[in-house]
Amino acid sequence: MKWTYSVLTVAVLSVAHLVAQDLYLRIPVETRNPLEGNADAIKAGMGAYRVRCADCHGMDARGIRSPDITQVWASGRTDDALFRTIRNGVPGTEMPSFPAPRTSDTDIWRILAYLKTLATPAPAEAARGNGQAGAGVFASNCLACHSVNGQGGRLGPDLSRIGVARTRTAMTRQIRGAVEDFRTGYEPVTLTTPAGQQIQGVKKNEDLFSVQIMDTGERIQGYLREDMRAVTNEKQSSMPAFGPEKLSDAELDDLLAYLASLRGVTAAEPTGNR
Amino acid sequence: MSQSVARLTLVVLAAAALAGSLIAQEAPPPLVTPQELLEGLKPDGSRWLMFGGSYTNQRHSPLTQITPQNVNRLVPQWTFQTDISGSRFETTPLLRDNVLYVTGPLNLAWAIDARTGREIWRYRRELPPTGTLTACCGLVNKGFGVLGDRLFMTTLDAHLLALDMKTGMVVWDATMEDYAKGYASTIAPVVAKDKVIVGVAGGEYGIRGFIDAYEAKTGTHAWRFYTIPGPGEPGNDTWAGDSWQRGGAGVWVTGAYDPDLNLLYYGIGNPGPDYHSDSRKGDNLYSDSIVALDADTGKLRWHYQFTPHDLHDWDATEVPVLADVAIGGQPRKVVMLANRNGFFYVLDRADGKLLVAKPFVVTTWAKEIGPDGRPRVLPGHVPDEQGSLTCPDVTGATNFWPPSYDPAQRLFFVNAREVCATYYAWAQEYVPGERYTGGAGQRARGRDMRAYGALRALDPTTGARRWEFEYISPSTSGLLTTASGLVFSGDAEGNFLAIDSRSGKLLWRFQMGSALHGTSAITYMLDGRQHVLVPAGTTLTAWALPDVPRVPGTR
Repeated sequence: MKWTYSVLTVAVLSVAHLVAQDLYLRIPVETRNPLEGNADAIKAGMGAYRVRCADCHGMDARGIRSPDITQVWASGRTDDALFRTIRNGVPGTEMPSFPAPRTSDTDIWRILAYLKTLATPAPAEAARGNGQAGAGVFASNCLACHSVNGQGGRLGPDLSRIGVARTRTAMTRQIRGAVEDFRTGYEPVTLTTPAGQQIQGVKKNEDLFSVQIMDTGERIQGYLREDMRAVTNEKQSSMPAFGPEKLSDAELDDLLAYLASLRGVTAAEPTGNR
Repeated sequence: MSQSVARLTLVVLAAAALAGSLIAQEAPPPLVTPQELLEGLKPDGSRWLMFGGSYTNQRHSPLTQITPQNVNRLVPQWTFQTDISGSRFETTPLLRDNVLYVTGPLNLAWAIDARTGREIWRYRRELPPTGTLTACCGLVNKGFGVLGDRLFMTTLDAHLLALDMKTGMVVWDATMEDYAKGYASTIAPVVAKDKVIVGVAGGEYGIRGFIDAYEAKTGTHAWRFYTIPGPGEPGNDTWAGDSWQRGGAGVWVTGAYDPDLNLLYYGIGNPGPDYHSDSRKGDNLYSDSIVALDADTGKLRWHYQFTPHDLHDWDATEVPVLADVAIGGQPRKVVMLANRNGFFYVLDRADGKLLVAKPFVVTTWAKEIGPDGRPRVLPGHVPDEQGSLTCPDVTGATNFWPPSYDPAQRLFFVNAREVCATYYAWAQEYVPGERYTGGAGQRARGRDMRAYGALRALDPTTGARRWEFEYISPSTSGLLTTASGLVFSGDAEGNFLAIDSRSGKLLWRFQMGSALHGTSAITYMLDGRQHVLVPAGTTLTAWALPDVPRVPGTR
């Protein structure tokens, strides 16, 4: 009796599972934002956006540490996809998930309703520069510190998704040296040993008693403050400024064309027969 | 003789035999008496029976086995993990007869063997369906109250429960309010004489706050004090129109009790909507106030409002601390409160007269409190759609994490925050059960805006700072002090810290893997050894000195 029941249960659950998977795979859920244009929702969304999103995406949503999100609709994202991005986050990036119950569906729709009011059409920026040439500029100037798709240095942020994450204007500012802020995990720091030796690197973490860094030789290591003569937070970013004397306007255009083409590491398609 | 009768006989015989042997070994402890509660933390260190250790909320233990000289030799005895991801302890555990009673997040609670960290019983109350709870700031709980053989616990769905101390079974269940309307309760109850006193949260959801008392024996409702006066009551005219009906003023931090004056002292939450205030013109009593209530009747004896017509979400839900100090050469029974708005206040707790008010962090909205007891508010600090920069930030100069007070040294210890924020405000329609804040605050950042925290020791007679211990970022840890001269604190990076309470010098640290968020360590004697118990994240850790011999059964 018991045995029959168990087998039945397993069978029912398996079928249910298959059906659920099937549904999940086959039926696209195209939900539109039910609160779009709703004045109250927009106001509430503005508050939620400013408190929870603006630190990274900026008050104007044009991106600080994180992507410019004023053109997400122009670039073809749907309400539904954006909803899921907020709900689930973006794995492997700084974008966290906002799970229920702390964040309700309504909360997310309100944020999107507000974001829609900041949305702009696709940029009219002329597609200047030659991406292929830009890849060369990147290899000789940037690759030592920045990686793309697993190739390159690790001292600076990975740029495999930079084309999604930054506008041309923002990238130009960064490259030309007008960097306003350090990204968490990349703050330059100098440790001075009791013997006077200096260890330079970027700060990965710290507390009152210790600091964890990647040094310029890409060694990751934690140090106790008490073992150091000094731990100095540097004011200048480790990223050098590339003024016109180092990088001509034409080279910059090529580089930007290359960077704009970087849309993230895509997983290889499964090769097995499913 | 039927089988069941035979079995029953056996059970009765066995129970009698067991009871006999127990009595022969050690008499079971008597029920927790009102007298025990009055005694607070005793020098024998045998118990910790309420949120603040005693009715004064001083969180100052008379124990001296662990000292500034030996604290660096503390070793862990055991850890207890809730195995719940994403929700952490904000509780103060209770200890009696070598058993810990601990409330957790998500309506959970435990009795734990203090010798081993092993669970004795676990209680769990079903949560309402996902998305229907409105507790603004975490599905947490701040701890039990106790009397007789019962534990009292508030719930996220705004009930007050009495649990059997021995089994964790519900003895009675009282509904405080309808959680669907935005009410929740996370507060640790105060047990005063035969009553259990609690409050409700929901200041961000358009509630009308209140403090409730229930009969400890039966759960019968005894009295209610609305933190917002109704029509015809004094103070109702401090709310424009009908804004009093949803003005917030929640009560979510445990108050203090003076048994001699028979007065309860509670800090009251912010008015709602938090930032956009056109709809609630007036002072908005008793939001952001401290109230003194008659413990038998709930009648208001006096009040003092720290932040009239608050625009910055500066709840007065900080822990009020009672002490006897001489101010200006005159002995005073005072209540002290380091406020979210940046000022440290000392009031005469018999009549509410303001004795000391001094900023303990950078305050840009006001520099002083005038002779009329009102802050002299500076221009330029009204939130609007463009935003205005004000210090302190929304979380405030301090908040619900408990301070401590050492009566021998006459020092008040508080974990303070030096953070500023840009405040925004806009008009918002009220929808029952939905968030009703009319704005937001965003922490100011950037290279020129250093945000940090510090443990500060304040002289209660002047508000002057004796010393500080600086953190690299703001700490949300509560405090514990001991008569041997220790302050136990924590930083935001997860370090548990022992600091010399006389000098502010760091003595010992341990990385707990999670910050003490709103929790304080407690301390007690167990088998002849002083223990320090630390709730951090989802873990309790018990510490003691390794070289003190265990003497089972002694204090």
